[in-house]
Amino acid sequence: MRFKQLVMGAAFAVAAAQPAFAEDVAICYNCPPEWADWGGQLKNIARDLKIDVPQDNKNSGQTLSQLLAEKDNPVADVAYYGVSFGIKAKEEGVVADYKPANFDKIPDGLKDPEGAWFAIHSGTIGLFVNTEALGGAPVPQSWSDLLKPEYKGMVGYLDPSSAFVGYAGAVAINRAMGGSLDDFTPGIEFFKKLKENDPIVPKQTAYARVLSGEIPILIDYDFNAYRAKYKDEANVAFVIPTEGTVAVPYVMSLVKNGPHAENGKKVLDYVMSDAGQAHWANAFLRPVIASAMSPEASEKFLPAAEYERSQPVDYAKMAEVQAGFGERYLSEVR
Amino acid sequence: MRRDWKFYAQLGLTIVLCLFIVVPVVMSALAGVTVNVFKGLSSGLTLRWVFEVWDLYAQSILLSLGIAMACLVVTLLAGVPLAYVLVRRPSRMMRLFEELLTLPVAIPGLALALALLITYGGVSGYRSSWLFILTGHVLFTLPFMVRSVAAVMAAMDMKMLEEGAASLGAGFWRRFFGVIVPNAKPGILAGALMVVTLSIGEFNLTWMLHTPLTKTLPVGLADAYASMRLEIGSAYTLIFFVLIMPLLIAMQALADRGKRASRRIDTAEDTL
Amino acid sequence: MSSVEHIKEGRSRPSFPWALSSLIGQGTPGAGSPAILALLMLPGLIIVAAFFIIPMALVAMRVADGPDGLATYFVILTHDRYLASLIQTLVMSGGVTVTALVLCGICGLFLVRNRFAGRNVITALLTLPLSFPGTVVGFMVIMLAGRQGVIGSVTDALWGEKIVFAYEITGLFVGYLYFSIPRVILAVMASAEKLDPQLEEAARSLGAPTWRVVRDVILPGLMPGLVSSGAICFATAMGAFGTAFTLATDIDVLPMVIYTEFTRNANIAVAAALSIALGAMTWAVLAAVRVFVGNGATSGTGGGA
Repeated sequence: MRFKQLVMGAAFAVAAAQPAFAEDVAICYNCPPEWADWGGQLKNIARDLKIDVPQDNKNSGQTLSQLLAEKDNPVADVAYYGVSFGIKAKEEGVVADYKPANFDKIPDGLKDPEGAWFAIHSGTIGLFVNTEALGGAPVPQSWSDLLKPEYKGMVGYLDPSSAFVGYAGAVAINRAMGGSLDDFTPGIEFFKKLKENDPIVPKQTAYARVLSGEIPILIDYDFNAYRAKYKDEANVAFVIPTEGTVAVPYVMSLVKNGPHAENGKKVLDYVMSDAGQAHWANAFLRPVIASAMSPEASEKFLPAAEYERSQPVDYAKMAEVQAGFGERYLSEVR
Repeated sequence: MRRDWKFYAQLGLTIVLCLFIVVPVVMSALAGVTVNVFKGLSSGLTLRWVFEVWDLYAQSILLSLGIAMACLVVTLLAGVPLAYVLVRRPSRMMRLFEELLTLPVAIPGLALALALLITYGGVSGYRSSWLFILTGHVLFTLPFMVRSVAAVMAAMDMKMLEEGAASLGAGFWRRFFGVIVPNAKPGILAGALMVVTLSIGEFNLTWMLHTPLTKTLPVGLADAYASMRLEIGSAYTLIFFVLIMPLLIAMQALADRGKRASRRIDTAEDTL
Repeated sequence: MSSVEHIKEGRSRPSFPWALSSLIGQGTPGAGSPAILALLMLPGLIIVAAFFIIPMALVAMRVADGPDGLATYFVILTHDRYLASLIQTLVMSGGVTVTALVLCGICGLFLVRNRFAGRNVITALLTLPLSFPGTVVGFMVIMLAGRQGVIGSVTDALWGEKIVFAYEITGLFVGYLYFSIPRVILAVMASAEKLDPQLEEAARSLGAPTWRVVRDVILPGLMPGLVSSGAICFATAMGAFGTAFTLATDIDVLPMVIYTEFTRNANIAVAAALSIALGAMTWAVLAAVRVFVGNGATSGTGGGA
C-alpha cells in the first residue's frame, strides 16, 4: 500500500517538475542575467516572442568548449561570446551562417561576411570599483595602481584563459605595459606582480560580488559599472585607466544543427531588431546599430575625453594568439 | 565524575568545532532575509530575496525534488530485490557484483559523469533530458539503498521466515511481498531517506551532466554563488536547508529508534 | 553479509542450468528458483552494466584516442602541471584527513564519555554538513572567511585588520575540513562506544600515565574506526569538486584540472586519463583499508563534496 502511494507521489512530483515543454524554448549558452542586462532581454524575449530562453552562466570559453564537445549532438541553439571566440567557433565549424535583421547595418569589421557571427554590442574595459568597500583607500586610476599594497586582496579579474572579458583585460593591460599581440610578456609580468597582491580570479560574472563588497575592484566593462551605478544605485565608479584600454564587441552565432533552430533564429532577429538594440542601449552597452543609441543613455557614460584612451584592436589577430596566451598564463602565472 | 581542566579543554574544543560548523549556516540563513548584507542587519529583514530566488530558480528546485522522487522509485525497484539476492544467495560472483555496485561511490563524480557523457552524449533526446541526470543519481545512490536493506535482511532470519511461509503454501512472490519486504521495512525506510537526501544534494555529477534546461537545486546554487548577489545566494541556501532539515531529522530519529530497539532487545535478553 | 556465506547448506537441488546455479550459488527450498532470482537481479544488473561498467570501459579506451596515444595513460606522471596538481591534491587530502582525525578523535571520545546538558544537540549540529553539496560548503567558507565574513569582522574589531582567507589555500583547507568533520566524528563515536572502559581503568590502576593510556589502550581500540573513516575522508577529499569550484581559488586540485581539461578545450583524452588515475587511486585506498580492517568498515556515510 505504502509502496503504491510512493510511486504515485513520485510520478506526480516528476510530472510537476517537467520544464514548461508546452512553451517554445531556445537554449542560449552564456546569457547570464547579471551581465549586460541579459535578464531583462530574456524577459523581453519571453514576453514578445513567447519563447522561453533559460538563463545560463557559462563564460565565453566554456561556451565554445561545450559547443565543441557537443558537436555531434548540439544542446544549444544560440551562443553569445566575445568576438575572438566567435571567430574560433567558425573555424571549428560549430556554428551556422545566419544573417539576422539589420545585418547590413552592421559595420564590416564587426561581422563575419557570411553570418557565422555578428556583433550585437560592445563595451570598454576598465575598473569597476565599489567605492564603499575600499576601506578608505583612494579609487585607483591606472593599471599600475592595482599593484599597490593598499589594494591587497581587493582586485579581481575574470580568468583570462577562459572568459573573454578576462582575455580582453589582459590584452588591454599588455598593450598599456608596452606589449603587443605578438608579445604578451609585459602583460604576463603584470599578472605575476598582481598575483602577489592576492587577487580574486572568478571564472564567471562576478557583478554581484562587486556590489556586495566581496570584490571591491573588478576589471570589467563599462556597461556593468554603469548598470550598478544607475540601475542598482550602488556607490560605484568606473575608471578608464590612464595607460589606456580597449573596446571589444560581443557577438552571437546560430549553433549548427541546434535542437530548436527556428526559435534560435527568432531570438537572434530580436536582439538585432530596433527594439532589441534599444534594450542594449538602455543597459549602457554600445549597440552595434549605432542609431539605436539614445541621448539619455549616452549622457550617463563617462565623457568622450576619457574614452579617447580606448584604442581599437585587431580582433582577428586576438583570436589567433588567444590559445598561446592562455597556455602562457596558466603555466607562468602561478 | 571529575570535571578537571581536561574536561573543560575538550568541551572547549568541541564547542569551537560546533561553532565552526553552525555559525556560517546561521549567517547565511540571516543573510538570505536581510535587506542589504553589506549594511548588515540594521538594514532590516525581508522575504524579497526568497521570492526572487523562487522567481529565478523555481524550476531547479522542483526538478531536484522530482528527480529525488524518481531516484527513490528506481532504487527501490532495483535495490530491494538486489539486496534480497545478495543476502539470500551469497557467492563469490555476488561479492564481485556488490563491489562493482559500490564502486560509483568511491570513484569521483566527475569521472562518472565523463563516462556517461562519452557513452551517451550522442543520444540527444536522452542527453538533454532529466533522465540523464537521474541516471547519474541512481548510480550513486543505489549502493546505499542496497546496503541499508541488506543489513536489515541479514540481521533477520529470512530462511526461517521463508520456510515458514512456504510450509503454509505461499508461493515465492507472496512470500517476497508479504513477508520479506514488510520485515525489511526499517532498512527500506533508512535507505529511502538516504537516497532522497543524497539526490537532492548531489552536485559533482550533476554539474557535468546538466543543460540549461535541466538545472537542479545545487547547480542553481553554484550559479547563484558565482554570479548573484550574496543575499540571493544566501536565500537560495536557506531554501536548501529548509528542504533538507526534515530529512536529516527523520534519519536521526530512525537511527535513534533503531538504537533504542536494539538496546531493549539486549536488556530483555539480560532479564531472561 | 560475508557472515552469511559461512552457512553452508548441505542439501543438493535437482539439476538447473549450470550458469545460473554457479552464479547465484547453492540454495534451499524457499529461496526461489534461479530464474526468479535472476529476474530480481535484472534491473540492478542492467543499471550497473549499462551505465557504469560499459561507460567506464569506454572512458578507458578514449584515453588512447588522444594525440599522444597510449602515453596519455601516464600523463598524470609525465606532465608537470598534472603531477603538481596530483601532489597538491594528495597533500591537501592527507592533511585534512589527519587534522579531522585528531580533532574528531578528541571530541568524539569526549562526547561519548561525558553526559552534560546539550550533548545531543552538539552531536546533531556537528553532523549537519553531511548532506551539503560541495558548493554549499564553499559558500560556508565564504561566510566565515570571505571579505564580509565573520572572522574578518571579528579580527577587524579586535586588531583593526580584517583577515580574509576564503580564496586561498587556507580557505580550501577549511572547506575540506568542514565536510570531513561530520563523516569522521560519526565513525569515531561509533567506535568509542565499543571501547571497554574497564581496560582503561585497569591501565590506570596499574599506574600508567594518561598519555600511555591513550597510546596503548584507547588508540588501538579506536583504530579500526579511525582508519576506515580516515580512508573515507581521504577519498572524499580527493574527489571533491564543488568546494574548489565555488571558492574559485588558484589551487588546482585534480578534480578542477579534470574539469578544466574537459571544458576548456574538449581535451577528452587527458580528462579521461586523469579521471581514471584519480578513480583508481581512490579505490585503491579504500580497498587497502578494507583488507586491513575488514569488510563493512567502509560503508561510509555517503555524499560527495
